[in-house]
Amino acid sequence: MAPPRTYRCEAIILSYTPLGEADLLVTMFTRDQGKVRAVGKGARRSTSKLVGHLEPLTLMRMSMAHGRSMDIISQAEVVQSFSKLKEDLAGITKGLYLAELVNGFGAEDSANPELYWLMIETLLAIETDPESDMPLRFFEFHLLQVSGLMPELYHCVECRAELEPDAHRFSPNVGGTLCLDCNPEDAHLRLLSLRALKVLRLLDRSDIAAACKLSLDDSLAAELKSLLSTTVSYWLGKEIRSNSFLERLNNESLPEVYI
Amino acid sequence: MTQENISGASPSLSRLVQELNRLPGIGPKSAQRLAYYIIRLPDEEAYALADAVTSVKQNIVFCEECQNLTDASPCQVCSDPRRDRTIICVVEDPLDVLAMERTRTFRGLYHVLHGVISPINGVGPDQLKLRELFSRLNQPDIAEMVVATNPTLEGEATAMYIRRHQGRDDLKVTHLARGLPVGGSLEYTDETTLTRAFQGRQEI
Repeated sequence: MAPPRTYRCEAIILSYTPLGEADLLVTMFTRDQGKVRAVGKGARRSTSKLVGHLEPLTLMRMSMAHGRSMDIISQAEVVQSFSKLKEDLAGITKGLYLAELVNGFGAEDSANPELYWLMIETLLAIETDPESDMPLRFFEFHLLQVSGLMPELYHCVECRAELEPDAHRFSPNVGGTLCLDCNPEDAHLRLLSLRALKVLRLLDRSDIAAACKLSLDDSLAAELKSLLSTTVSYWLGKEIRSNSFLERLNNESLPEVYI
Repeated sequence: MTQENISGASPSLSRLVQELNRLPGIGPKSAQRLAYYIIRLPDEEAYALADAVTSVKQNIVFCEECQNLTDASPCQVCSDPRRDRTIICVVEDPLDVLAMERTRTFRGLYHVLHGVISPINGVGPDQLKLRELFSRLNQPDIAEMVVATNPTLEGEATAMYIRRHQGRDDLKVTHLARGLPVGGSLEYTDETTLTRAFQGRQEI
């Protein structure tokens, strides 16, 4: 018997690009098939039944039809629009940062429901507090975990000795933390403070609600941000483009820049 | 496969196919079809096409005021004394100016950003004509700015960025109404649009 021509799926929209006269080529992350690219026929026309449904950072329930080269979105229904997140510039930028990472780490035709749920719970956490960076740190850490790239935090990756409560070294290239006695040639090697190691271990053990209650001082927050985004970028194999706008929003003061 | 892979193709034809292939939405097959169509055109039509491309590249400049594409700066709209100089409509692309002009309802000036902030694509504020917009807003006679970016996530992010950085307390900042399109259907309208349509309901 021939496989069915249509199927249903739940997906978060990651991005889209215009295609042809009025179509959209939509990249989404589905719960059951991983990353999927599909065409929204006529979705750029203002009277299309798909218009407004295919915006990035929207959780959708969709009917799809198998096409010759790409699947076609035949119906779409919004499950969660994360509308509060989209009312805030920081919220949108952080959401797009997640979308870029999921697009980079998610594979086509390879289900990763843990990553799917991680993205949804992180979007909800950002919606609750768009100013906090902790949801991003939690996401970056668990993104590594659900992608099979979890860094070692309890033993030295070189000598396998249990880590003492002290400062250490860290490198994504060797797979995590090193004791101070081990010093391999590695361009990615960096110092890891004891406080940062403790927060990483806490992120490993806690859920997102508990992680978001953490309050870090500026230097610790900066160390974790640098360490996790560098590690994620290392595994992604390229620069995370939305990171520079995120940094800019965090750093810039006000409009005098332009006057 | 491009023409250069086909043995026996002339170098000038290969070059034309390659150049056409660079255009958005034109794949290798379409580029070949267009190239052969151009070859079969009468000489005067083919030269007119080449002349139009050369002329547009030599003559089109950014308007020094609104940053729209124009043959002469300032553009027709900016140099028209009948336009209302107290209101600026900020749009993403030159094509949006044409769409707005077709309505014949807006008589103010424009400012063309030439894109939207798109963090995923590495497009930040510096790649847009935002610096020009903010310095233009220093003119005290401008009383209102209508931010008419598309109601997409990136369009909204750009609008928020503009509102946050425009730097004037006395400037009225508005955006176009959100709601149902003419010829649309309530049944298929997404919840955000429907919510905004309710918020912006009008007495009849």
